[in-house]
Amino acid sequence: MRLLVRLYRSLRIAATAARVYLLYKLPAWGRRLLRRPEPEDLDASHERAARILLGTALSLRGVTIKFCQVVATRADVFPPAVIEVLKQCHDAVPPQPFPRIRAHVEAELGRPLDQVFRAFEPEPMAAASLAQVHRAELLDGTPLAVKVQYPDIEQIVRTDLANMRRVCAVYEFFDPQPLELRPLVKELTNHLALELDFLREADCADRVRELFARDGTVVVPEMHREWSTRRVLSMQLVDGIKITEKEKIQAAGLDPADVVQELMRIYTRMILAAGFFQADPHPGNLFVQPDGQVVLLDFGLSKELPEGFGLGLFELMFSMMTLNESAMIRAFQELGFETKNGDPSTFLLITRRMMKRSDTGRFEGEFTEQMTDELFDAIRENPVVQVPSDFVLVGRVFSLLSGIAHTLGSRANVLEAMGASTG
Amino acid sequence: MGAPAASDAPLEYAVDELLADGPYEAPLVAGQVRCHGGFDAEGRYRSPRTLQRAPAIRAWQAQLARDGHELLAIDAALMPPQYPNVEQAKLLLREGVRDPVVRRLTIISIVEGFGAIIRDVKVPDLAALVVEPIEGTALAHLRGGLFEAHARDEAGYRDEGGHKQMWEAARDLALENPRIPGDVLMRMLGQGPGRRRERRRALPRLDEALETMLATMAQVLAVEVFAMGAFDWGERLLSDPEVSANPEAAGSLVSYIRSDESPHVEYLRSALSEVSARSLRCVDGGTIPGREAVRVLLHATLRGLTRERREEQRQAIRESLLDSMQAHAQPESLLERYDALESAWTPPAKTGFEPETPEA
Repeated sequence: MRLLVRLYRSLRIAATAARVYLLYKLPAWGRRLLRRPEPEDLDASHERAARILLGTALSLRGVTIKFCQVVATRADVFPPAVIEVLKQCHDAVPPQPFPRIRAHVEAELGRPLDQVFRAFEPEPMAAASLAQVHRAELLDGTPLAVKVQYPDIEQIVRTDLANMRRVCAVYEFFDPQPLELRPLVKELTNHLALELDFLREADCADRVRELFARDGTVVVPEMHREWSTRRVLSMQLVDGIKITEKEKIQAAGLDPADVVQELMRIYTRMILAAGFFQADPHPGNLFVQPDGQVVLLDFGLSKELPEGFGLGLFELMFSMMTLNESAMIRAFQELGFETKNGDPSTFLLITRRMMKRSDTGRFEGEFTEQMTDELFDAIRENPVVQVPSDFVLVGRVFSLLSGIAHTLGSRANVLEAMGASTG
Repeated sequence: MGAPAASDAPLEYAVDELLADGPYEAPLVAGQVRCHGGFDAEGRYRSPRTLQRAPAIRAWQAQLARDGHELLAIDAALMPPQYPNVEQAKLLLREGVRDPVVRRLTIISIVEGFGAIIRDVKVPDLAALVVEPIEGTALAHLRGGLFEAHARDEAGYRDEGGHKQMWEAARDLALENPRIPGDVLMRMLGQGPGRRRERRRALPRLDEALETMLATMAQVLAVEVFAMGAFDWGERLLSDPEVSANPEAAGSLVSYIRSDESPHVEYLRSALSEVSARSLRCVDGGTIPGREAVRVLLHATLRGLTRERREEQRQAIRESLLDSMQAHAQPESLLERYDALESAWTPPAKTGFEPETPEA
C-alpha cells in the first residue's frame, strides 16, 4: 500500500479520535473553569460523537467499519445514543473496480478468469467492508457466488489496527478515567483474523451444514474448494427471499411468525446445543426459500464456544424466562461474569432489576428481549461487573435476531425454540 | 392426593389463593439451593402452593362425582420402562461409565423445567366455547392459578428452586457433582428432523386455540403420569448406597418431587374430565361431545408416547451410550452385560381412549 494512503488513514483516524475526545473534554474543562455542574444528560454529545465516528468509517471503510460494528454490539459499555447511531453502520459500501478484482482473482487462482469461469459478472451482487461477491458460472455451467477479498485489505487492516492501538494508548494516557477501549481493539483484531481467512470460512460452513444435515430446514451453500484460496471463496449460488422482506415471504405462502420461530430454533441449536455458530445473522446473510428452508450465508465470523458455555447460557436464559433469581445468579457465575470486589450481591441487584420488568410472570419472546436489554443496561450502569466476551457476541446475535423478528412483526418464543412445547 | 371424597371446600378461588403456601417449620434446601416447599413440625415434607390448591382440586373432583361423571385415568400399564433401567444404570456407574446416567438425570431436570411453558398456553374464552356452564370447575381456574402454580413448581420462582433444581441437586448429591457431558443439549435438542411447520389438526371443527390447549393438557397429563416411572427410577437409583454418595438426601429429594407432581396430575385429570362431561361449540356452529374430543387427543398422545416417541428416545439414548462405553476397557463385554439386563416391554394394544364414534 502506498505510503501516502497509509499516512492519510493514520491522520484521519487520529483526527477523528481527537475530535471525539475534545467534543467531551472542551465543555467539561469550560464547566470546571466556570464552576458549573456536570450535565446529567450527555445524549446529544454521545450522538454527535457517534456521527463523527460513522462518517470516518463510511469514508475509510475496512477496519473502521468493523470497529463501529463492534462498538454497536457493546451495549454493556457504551450509552444507547452511541449504539443507536452506530447500529446503522452496515456493510453496504461502494464496490472496488472490476479490473482490480479480476487481476486479484486471477493471481489467487493462478490462471486467467476465462480458464475457470464461463461467465463472471463485473457488477458485484454485494460489497462489504472486507470483500465483495460476484455471480459467476463455471465452465460446465454451474452457477457460483465468488467472494473476493479486496486486494490490499490485509495491509489496510494492519495499518488501521496499529493506528487504533496508538490512539487508545494516547487516550488512556491523557484521560484519568478512560473507557476500556483496548479490549475492543483486541476483540476486533481476533475477529478480523478469522474473517480474512476464507479457507477457514469454508470449514465453518461445512461444519454448520453437517450440524443440520438430518434437519432438512437449513441450507448452507456447498463450497467449491478447488476454486477457493485464503482470499477467494467460490460457493454454490443459492436463491431465496431476504429474511426481512415480509411481503415476499407472505406471497410465497409462508407465515413470517413461523420464519421467526424457525430462525430462533436454528440459532438456539447452534449456540446452546452445538456450541458453534455463525455469529453474523444480519439480514444480508439470511434468506428463506419458498419451501420454508432458511439459507445461512457468510461464515467468516463463526465462533466456537468453550465447553460448558452453551449449557451455562441455557441456564441463564432459562432462569431469566422462568423468573428464577437464585438460578440466574448461579448461571452468571458459571458463565464467568465477575464482580471486581468479588461480591455476588451485585448479581442479585442486577437480577432484581431485571425481575422488575415482569408484571405478569409470562415469558414470551418480547419479554425475553426486554430482559436482555435490561441486562445490558444494568451492566453498563454498574461497572463492577465484567462480561465474558463470548457472552457479548452471543448477545449481539440475539439482538440481531430480535431486530429481524421486529421487522417481520412477530416474536419468537425462546423457550419453545429451546425444545419445550406448548402442544 | 388420594381419591376424590366429599369436600366442603369452596369451588371458586382467586389466583393468589391457588398459589398460597402453608406455613413451614423449616425450608427445603437441596444442595446449597433454597427450594420450594418445606417441612412441618413433625419433619414431614409439604409441597408448595398446596394450602388451597389441594383442597380445591379435591372439591372439583367431588363435584364431578356428585354430578355422576367419571374421573378419567391413564392405565399405568401404558407406562414404558425407563431406559436404561435401574439395574443397567447401576452397572454403568459401577463400571465407571457415568456419562449416560449423568446425561439422563440432567435431561430429566431440563424436561421438568420445560414444564414451565404451560403458563404460555393460550386459554381461549372457555365460557363461550363450552356449552354447559364451567363456574366452580378446575377448567375455569386454568388461567386463574393452576397453570401458573404448575409452572412455578417445575422451574422454580424468584428465590426458590423448583423441580429442575431439585433434580440437579439430587444428581449432584448422589454422584458428587459429576462433570456434565458437554453434549447434553446436543443430544437433547440437536438431533432429528427440524420442527414441523404445520401441526395436523385432529379436531378441525373445534376452535384452534381450544384444540391446542386441550392437546397440550392431554400431552402434559400423559407425560406427568409417565414421569412417575422416572421418579421411581430416580428414587431407587439415587437412594442405593452402592452407587449413591448421599443415598438418603438424594432419594428423599426425588420423593418430594414425586409428591409435588401429584396435584399436576389431579388438576389435569379433573379439567379434562370436566371437558368430557360437557359439549364443545364448533366453528361451523354445531357441537361435539367433549368426551370424544378428549378421547381423540389422549389416544393420539398415548399412541405417540408409547410407540414412535419411545423408540426414538431409546435409540438416541443408546447411541450416546455406545459412544460413552468406548472409554471402557472392555466395551463389548460391558455392552453384553448391559443388554442382558434390559427389561422386555411391549406397549399394550389399546390406549383405553380409542375414539368411540367414526365422526370424531
